[in-house]
Amino acid sequence: MSSKSLTLRNISKRFGNVNALDNFNLEVGVGELVALLGPSGCGKTTALRVVAGLEHQDSGTVLVADKNISDIPAHKRNMGMVFQAYSLFPNLTVEENVAFGLQMRKVNKHVRLKKAHELLDLVGLDSQSKRFTHQLSGGQQQRVALARALAFEPEILLLDEPLSALDAQVRVNLREEIRRLQLSLGTTTLFVTHDQEEAMAISDRVGVMNNGVLEQIDTPDALYNKPASSFVASFVGTMNRIPAHITDGMVEIFGSKIVALKRGNESGEVLALIRPESIAVAATTQGNAKVLTRSFMGASSNIICQTADGTIVQSLMTSASTGDLLPGSSVQLRVLSSEVLVANV
Amino acid sequence: MAKALRVRFQPPLAITLLILGFFVFIPMISAFEYSIRTPLTGGYGWDHYIWAIREDDFFHYILRSMWLAGVTVLITLFVLVPTLTWLHLSQSKVRGLIDGLSLLPLVIPVVAFAVGAQISFPEFVQNTVLELPFLYFVLALPYAYRSLDIGLNSIPLKTITEAARSAGANWWRTITAVIVPVIRGSVMATIALTFALSLGEYTLTVLLHWDTFPTWVTFVAQDNILGAIAISMMSLIIPFLILTVITLFVPERSMQGRK
Repeated sequence: MSSKSLTLRNISKRFGNVNALDNFNLEVGVGELVALLGPSGCGKTTALRVVAGLEHQDSGTVLVADKNISDIPAHKRNMGMVFQAYSLFPNLTVEENVAFGLQMRKVNKHVRLKKAHELLDLVGLDSQSKRFTHQLSGGQQQRVALARALAFEPEILLLDEPLSALDAQVRVNLREEIRRLQLSLGTTTLFVTHDQEEAMAISDRVGVMNNGVLEQIDTPDALYNKPASSFVASFVGTMNRIPAHITDGMVEIFGSKIVALKRGNESGEVLALIRPESIAVAATTQGNAKVLTRSFMGASSNIICQTADGTIVQSLMTSASTGDLLPGSSVQLRVLSSEVLVANV
Repeated sequence: MAKALRVRFQPPLAITLLILGFFVFIPMISAFEYSIRTPLTGGYGWDHYIWAIREDDFFHYILRSMWLAGVTVLITLFVLVPTLTWLHLSQSKVRGLIDGLSLLPLVIPVVAFAVGAQISFPEFVQNTVLELPFLYFVLALPYAYRSLDIGLNSIPLKTITEAARSAGANWWRTITAVIVPVIRGSVMATIALTFALSLGEYTLTVLLHWDTFPTWVTFVAQDNILGAIAISMMSLIIPFLILTVITLFVPERSMQGRK
């Protein structure tokens, strides 16, 4: 296995007046899959391109297995990359595309075609090896691109939103396939996406970026349950922002007092950040809110309520317990968790 | 091909093609008819062609013009493909300026190039016929530039360039192994345009006192106009055959796939 660790140390990169990366730091362990997640323009793609050598940072260093590669040109970095846009070479067949990296490394034709077929077999496209790329579907093209990026056994695999041009079902299948391949080959992988579901589903750790800064990097579970900032809390998953009063570290919401988790004011008006699944809704005649809508989604249902002071609150409950929550009915809202994150108003 | 044959008959298109066909083929057919006349017998024959082939100078000058055209094609590709690739990738504002500059050879009189060459070229360049390809390159620039520009505009250049580089191709391999094959149609058109223009260039060659195929044809025409026309016909056919052979030897890979 040729996989190595990746370290980005104090990377800064500006484009004109825009600070794409601001003193950016990241560590990816050997064989680990780390996703960079964030809104458009947050700098995640720039970070990936700096690693690939397709952009050069203004300052900072890129290390692969503790070796500084900052000044090594892209073609000598030995990094496989899959792009958002279809990037296969239209003049080459599928097998020639996959073997391209090995051809550039002057591996003899027999060996490189054998390797190409191995990789095509792994992505389930060996039967298409003699075809030209325009004869493949979008999902198949991205599979070939993945095979091409892995064929020369890269030290790092870089995925630049490789699923965003695909249909929903193909996306789900291909992301699982990426993860399966990544685990079986043990390739250190940096995966850039703006789709949180994608990032959470297949990554060992997810880094959430905002304005060129890594706000938090952690396991998907920790990121969801213990967001380090208000931005992360809002960006990852759905989050209710409910106006509340805090006194002595206790927040009063829907008539109950709950322990406030760090951040925010010590006393006064704050916003309590609560996940929809942490709010229970129960039908009652003298409730503290009214149901606006109930969306049935199979096993679970999404209930949108409005409190007396006009705050919109979303709750996610098992469908079986929401049969009597009709629009307009009076309900009692209750926070299920014993702690809540708070943010300043 | 089968698809192309099923194209619906469209009268405006047919009329346009017919008019264009007249413009292209009537002078050629007329010249050919004229070149096979034998005034002594009043009939037709290949006398002038046989005469031309037996002239030692015929092969001397056509080969000279062809290798000069070949050198011009090489200069054009070596200069323009990397330059245009860079202009497209860098999104530089200079591109608009260079687009405009590339048209200048159409408006600058050829005599200005001849004078310019005599002033600016070092003497050792002026002393060799190799000064001509550099000037032919400039004359072919408006056509070669546009042909390549269209090709580069029609492909996802940035993505495939970055894909090639991240897969381990240096810039030279990226251009030769990826970009040129992908814009093969444009490259072939550039070769054909540059080759044809260089082969037929007369004014600049005469002004700089060099002898090439076109100047020799003019010289021959003074004594044997029918022979000169036969030579001209052959000068049309020979490069056409050469370009056809080149095209056949470099098959369009992705077209094979489409069949």
